Amino acid sequence: MKFKLNLSSIFSQLLLLFFVILWITPTFGLLISSFRDKDQLAISGWWTSLINTEVSEIHRTKGKNEQSKENEVYFIRGNLFKEDKGKKILSFGVTSKNINAYIVGEKAVLKDKSEIVVFENGDYEWKSENEFKKKKGRRIFITAKSPPSFTLDNYKEVLFEAGLGQAFLNTIAVALPATLIPLIICSFFAYSLTWMNFFGRDILLATIIASLVVPLQMSLIPILTIYNDLGALFNIEAKSFPGIWMAHTGFGLASTTFLLWNFMKSLPNEMLEAAKVDGASHYDTFVRIVIPLSIPAFASIFILQFLWVWNDLLVGLVFLDKHPSEIILTAKLKELLGSYGENWEILTTGAFISMTVPLFIFFSLQRFFIRGLVAGSVKG
Amino acid sequence: MSFFSLISTVIVGVLFFIIYFGLSNFILDLVCKFKSNSVALENSVRVIIFIAPAFLVLFMFILYPVFETVRLSFYDKFGREFVGWNNYLWALNDPNFRRSILNNLGWLLIVPTLSTFFGLVIANLTDKIWWGTIAKSIIFMPMAISFVGAGVIWKFIYDYRGTGDQQIGLLNAIVVSLGMEPQAWLTISIWNNLFLMAIMIWIQTGLALVIFSAALRGIPNETLEAARIDGASEFRIFWSIIIPFLERTILVIWTIITILVLKVFDIIYAMTNGEWQTEVLANLMYDWMFRGGGDSGRGSVLAFCIMIGVIPILVWNLYRHRQEQKNEI
Amino acid sequence: MNILKIKKLLLASVLLVFPTSIFAGSGHYHYDGPDISGAKIKIFGPWLAPEDESFRDVLSIFEKETGASVEYGGSDEFEQIINIDCKAGNPADIAVFPQPGLAANIAATGCLAPQGNDLKQMVLDDYAAGQSWVDLTTYADANGNDQFYGIFFRVNVKSLVWYSPDNFEDNGYEVPKTMEELLSLTEKMASDGNTPWCIGLESGGATGWPATDWMEEIMLRTHPPSVYDQWVSNEMPFNDQKVIDAMKFFGTFALNDDYVAGGSKAVATTGFRDSPKGLFTSPPQCMMHRQASFIPAFFPEGVEAGVDYDFFYFPAYSSKDLGRPVLGAGTVVTATNNDPATTELMKFLMHPEAHERFMGKGGFLTPHKGVDKSKYASDTFRGLHDILVGATTFRFDGSDLMPGAVGAGSFWTGMVDYTNGKSAKDVADAIQSSWDAIK
Repeated sequence: MKFKLNLSSIFSQLLLLFFVILWITPTFGLLISSFRDKDQLAISGWWTSLINTEVSEIHRTKGKNEQSKENEVYFIRGNLFKEDKGKKILSFGVTSKNINAYIVGEKAVLKDKSEIVVFENGDYEWKSENEFKKKKGRRIFITAKSPPSFTLDNYKEVLFEAGLGQAFLNTIAVALPATLIPLIICSFFAYSLTWMNFFGRDILLATIIASLVVPLQMSLIPILTIYNDLGALFNIEAKSFPGIWMAHTGFGLASTTFLLWNFMKSLPNEMLEAAKVDGASHYDTFVRIVIPLSIPAFASIFILQFLWVWNDLLVGLVFLDKHPSEIILTAKLKELLGSYGENWEILTTGAFISMTVPLFIFFSLQRFFIRGLVAGSVKG
Repeated sequence: MSFFSLISTVIVGVLFFIIYFGLSNFILDLVCKFKSNSVALENSVRVIIFIAPAFLVLFMFILYPVFETVRLSFYDKFGREFVGWNNYLWALNDPNFRRSILNNLGWLLIVPTLSTFFGLVIANLTDKIWWGTIAKSIIFMPMAISFVGAGVIWKFIYDYRGTGDQQIGLLNAIVVSLGMEPQAWLTISIWNNLFLMAIMIWIQTGLALVIFSAALRGIPNETLEAARIDGASEFRIFWSIIIPFLERTILVIWTIITILVLKVFDIIYAMTNGEWQTEVLANLMYDWMFRGGGDSGRGSVLAFCIMIGVIPILVWNLYRHRQEQKNEI
Repeated sequence: MNILKIKKLLLASVLLVFPTSIFAGSGHYHYDGPDISGAKIKIFGPWLAPEDESFRDVLSIFEKETGASVEYGGSDEFEQIINIDCKAGNPADIAVFPQPGLAANIAATGCLAPQGNDLKQMVLDDYAAGQSWVDLTTYADANGNDQFYGIFFRVNVKSLVWYSPDNFEDNGYEVPKTMEELLSLTEKMASDGNTPWCIGLESGGATGWPATDWMEEIMLRTHPPSVYDQWVSNEMPFNDQKVIDAMKFFGTFALNDDYVAGGSKAVATTGFRDSPKGLFTSPPQCMMHRQASFIPAFFPEGVEAGVDYDFFYFPAYSSKDLGRPVLGAGTVVTATNNDPATTELMKFLMHPEAHERFMGKGGFLTPHKGVDKSKYASDTFRGLHDILVGATTFRFDGSDLMPGAVGAGSFWTGMVDYTNGKSAKDVADAIQSSWDAIK
């Protein structure tokens, strides 16, 4: 019996490990990529940077301006690497047709009788009887052993970009109210759908569930039209923070209400009946009994709605100006990405930078989260 | 905007709603104290106070756009001239539309089922293992990544380079190391849909997992112990105790994920843009709505089709709701 | 869009010749605008980093001289946002369109404001071949009447082949001067064991567009410009044998596993951003890459123009008397209202100082006759300028002029299907039927 239990426990552990590895591998790849040299991203797989790998690179020697003359022989000396990253050259070549013609330290004789030697650490010496004439140096093709190498450059590039801090702040200014306002409104709404009797309640309930599916893209134009009309009427900006809060409230209303309704349905009936008998109004019942009981549910819905608002790009683009004072983080990262999306490394780093806040929220509210939806979905 | 004006705007915005509910209910209570004879009136005013903000938001941000969508689906691309059923007829004859319907059905069958199933299994596993919380966090992580980030992540999985070149996609690197030919995964018709669904499952399992793992705690330990003593296998306990117990949780999760899948757009848009027969309704709708000046008529028809998709889900949810109410009585 | 309209638009774009001496003795006068302090102008466009900063810098001249405040915001979701803003009725004062076809689409909704004759006159006077530029920004309004809507600001040249001079030298290859030479060079490279071309079509939601450029280049080199115009306006159907042949011509490069890096299967899935990197790998994955003037932004860090890479003109047949056709594209600046401040800003963007400031920032090419060529940031751009100047025929990117559903839709996807093995005939038929569907 004991043995059998252990076996099944080992099996469970292995199965879970399998799932965890499966799930984390893609993200892990992104994490590694965000620390890699940006030109390497498109050339070699991210896993190659974890181990000693053989890389093929092209470097260029100095040109004629750097030559020196010793005993009637002309020399160009230098190091191929701009910075020492611990690469060890194994072999080299002087033409793209044969990139590892010579082993390191061997003397390569060129067509014009000049000779090049490349050493393991990247030092090279090019000597010739005749004066070097070309302004641009010669390409040296190297094959080298490269130790794992990582750089913080990508993060520096993104983090120290002007305007990122403001974008961060703007996103918080969008996300907090856009999460709290639907929570407040919908908790009252869900309460009345669950515990109050009124005409058309079931129709309203059906409408809410049906509303879950309305594609957001369809709503943008009608809503912005209303905003523009209101803006013209009261002579205010049509694109503003309150505007985007309400838009997010609208798009999150159905799912927030649906989840809260599912939760409140499961609250013990007796408790509310008792409150009624004591003469408490619905408002008292709501504030004194339902809110404290619902805090776990609020926390969990808070996380879901916050995640959605935080990662949103489209709503932010439509309901706010693209000006630095209003631009949100996702839009800012897209902007850094460049007109043709040329700054690819921004994506990898940007994804992690923007992930920090939702993850922080998740970890800090996790305890509530777990207990919250439990009660929402399990008959208590 | 400066830091402080930003913060104060935020606080004022949130306070506005708190004050609305607090004040209006306070006034109502005050009024009722003097006229305590009309409980019915009090209740109906209270209902109005409770649902008014949500109802206004619902009307303005959801219902009005839906009416507008339905109206526009009968108009031409500028929304100027009435064209009757023309847009609907166009959709019926459009091969892309039929392809999208098929793909969407595939998505609806596979993604909610697998996400829910994986969530359930993993929740069960993490429940009993000491490092379960860490595992849970890892599987939840994809939810915190924006779709833009998820696009890059999966590029590093599915990327294809020619035979002989160094692969930067993990899947092809594995395939090549096993001595097989690399494949351009996203271009293989029908199968590519599965590769795209994998991304959605990867994201949504986290949602299912966290809710399930919470729900599992609600199962009384005695029930499980009793079953074990009776000699029931873990597998049997899972099927005949845990699943029935979680039935309602499964419905909630299944509903939410199904609806997300019905609207799935970002993944397709970022990975294939509907190429290689991976088109889905939401991406097709986006194309018609916004590409090349936009055709709000045809875009609206497609949106309408997505909205119709909710009906079975709605019916099932309402049916379950009625059942529960009956049981209570 | 209606066909007649496009045809007219194209006919006028024929023979956009750049006189060689336009830069001689250009006056370096300074922009001096009226005082419109307090005015606030919003601009929305597709430029992101680093072009957005360059453009804001250009705008700062205007702000300083007039006292108005100008806000530029950009997004890569330009097409969607401008649609939403226009339909909701409150777009930015000035919209910068990445393609004239899109501008024409939006003009047809009545969202853009027609510009006055004085701005039109400025384009006619100041731009080389001014009439062609005017015609490219003349679209039908909501009632179907032709109106002049805006100006081209920042153009680029497409007919370029990028290569590494060192790789050519190592193998003893010469830069081809004619299409015949290019074809035999391609063949020679393949027989030497080198891969001639890097082609990548993947571009997220716009996957396929680089192949449409190939098609346009080939059409211009195998047929007279009039055929090109008929094709773009659909007077000649897309499934005409001429077009199918052009597609097959593209196929001789893209569908030949020996001619293209990674083999034909890699063409559609390789990012257009990544594909030129093959020129710089060790050993090189390919020898040549055909792409527009913006592509050096995607070259690996540290490679130097003129040293590590160079470009040559994508040549024309010497046996066909079609001259030196050049394909180009550009961004169109339009206004959504006729407020005096908005109009003044439009006029400012026609001023040489605005052009020169952007030229100095790099990545900017202009047909303006009054600018000082020495203000270009690099020799590369002076070289590009010479290609423009040397053109006997200039044609605008055809897919940008086709209706959006084709030029930014079925044409893109069709070319992807073609590289995936669908026959040229089937692809052309499918594109034509998508065109019929929107007529």
